[in-house]
Amino acid sequence: MSTYVYGIARSTHPSPPEQLGGVGDPPRPVRVLRQGRLMALVSDAPEALRPKRRDLLAHQHVLREAGAEGTVLPLRFGGLSPDDETLATVLAEREDHYLERLQALDGKSEYNVKASHDEQLVLRRVLADDPALRAMAEASRSRGETSHEGKLELGERIANAVRVREAQDADLVRVALNGAAEEVSAGPQSPGWLTNLSFLVDREQSAGFVNAVEAVREEQPHLVLTVTGPLPPYSFVE
Amino acid sequence: MTVVPAQQAGGSGGSSSLYDVLELVLDRGIVIDAFVRVSLVGIEILKIDVRVVVASVDTYLRFAEACNRLDLEAGPRKNPGLPDLVGQMTESGARGKSKGALSGAAQSISEVFSKDHDEEPESKPQSRRTSSRSRKEESE
Repeated sequence: MSTYVYGIARSTHPSPPEQLGGVGDPPRPVRVLRQGRLMALVSDAPEALRPKRRDLLAHQHVLREAGAEGTVLPLRFGGLSPDDETLATVLAEREDHYLERLQALDGKSEYNVKASHDEQLVLRRVLADDPALRAMAEASRSRGETSHEGKLELGERIANAVRVREAQDADLVRVALNGAAEEVSAGPQSPGWLTNLSFLVDREQSAGFVNAVEAVREEQPHLVLTVTGPLPPYSFVE
Repeated sequence: MTVVPAQQAGGSGGSSSLYDVLELVLDRGIVIDAFVRVSLVGIEILKIDVRVVVASVDTYLRFAEACNRLDLEAGPRKNPGLPDLVGQMTESGARGKSKGALSGAAQSISEVFSKDHDEEPESKPQSRRTSSRSRKEESE
């Protein structure tokens, strides 16, 4: 039976609560596998495990629960060891590396920040910033009936200005929040966001980080920031 | 401008935050070479666009129309972008928008998952290398 692995911690890490459920339906009980100075949070792997909502949540939940008791290195969802022995061998071989990462991440959490534009407000913003574009828009409006081509031309110029603004705002968010964080890591690209960044934040500094986010929100009302955290340090384990 | 820390922290538990970090759970974190990876077929959700594609004719037209309306609302002011003119609207507008986008994504995800559940009883864990091939077959 293969072994599902959630995360890696020091062998002195408190054991998870007995009723902690992992992936699978019914949830497989989470147990601890100790090897040298490390331990891994594992459960039996259900047959035919797929990335279903319930299982993704279970993975996240186990890491959150265990992470509340001390530093845990999160595994990516879906890592299956053929058996407990293989996992123990990996832990023994990479012990120094994992211990180094555990030390580096002690007392720190990940905050993920995704930014997008509020459409109405970014349009106001690009018109306010570009007198020529604003004049063009005002001329179009005052003419009343604008030709299809005229609208396309205006719209394309506005869209270009919005794209430039996206790049500027991606930099702005990184710079504004970087100072309140220990490290920053670019998240996976997605067309859904103008930027997707993960910040490593010392727990002692989390209020400062949240304040920095608030400051960006107040100063840049056309930006919509989605902040999620504190999270297990997914982006800082390698 | 009021803030609601619980909402903005977002990570205090519950399923809603999962959608905001799905790509981290699936794309970040330790990978161990000696392990088998669960196939990620059915997770194309990550590529689904929750934001408008800026470079399209539809967007050009919508932006042009929107600008006409903006000017009518704001009147002939020199600085339509001044934050204090629109501060009130910013809060509610931004909130509403991000909620809409997120619940849209959430819906798409649950559709993917339920589809996955109904139509794929046969799949077993497999190495990640094969996932793109399987995905292609599935779409054919």
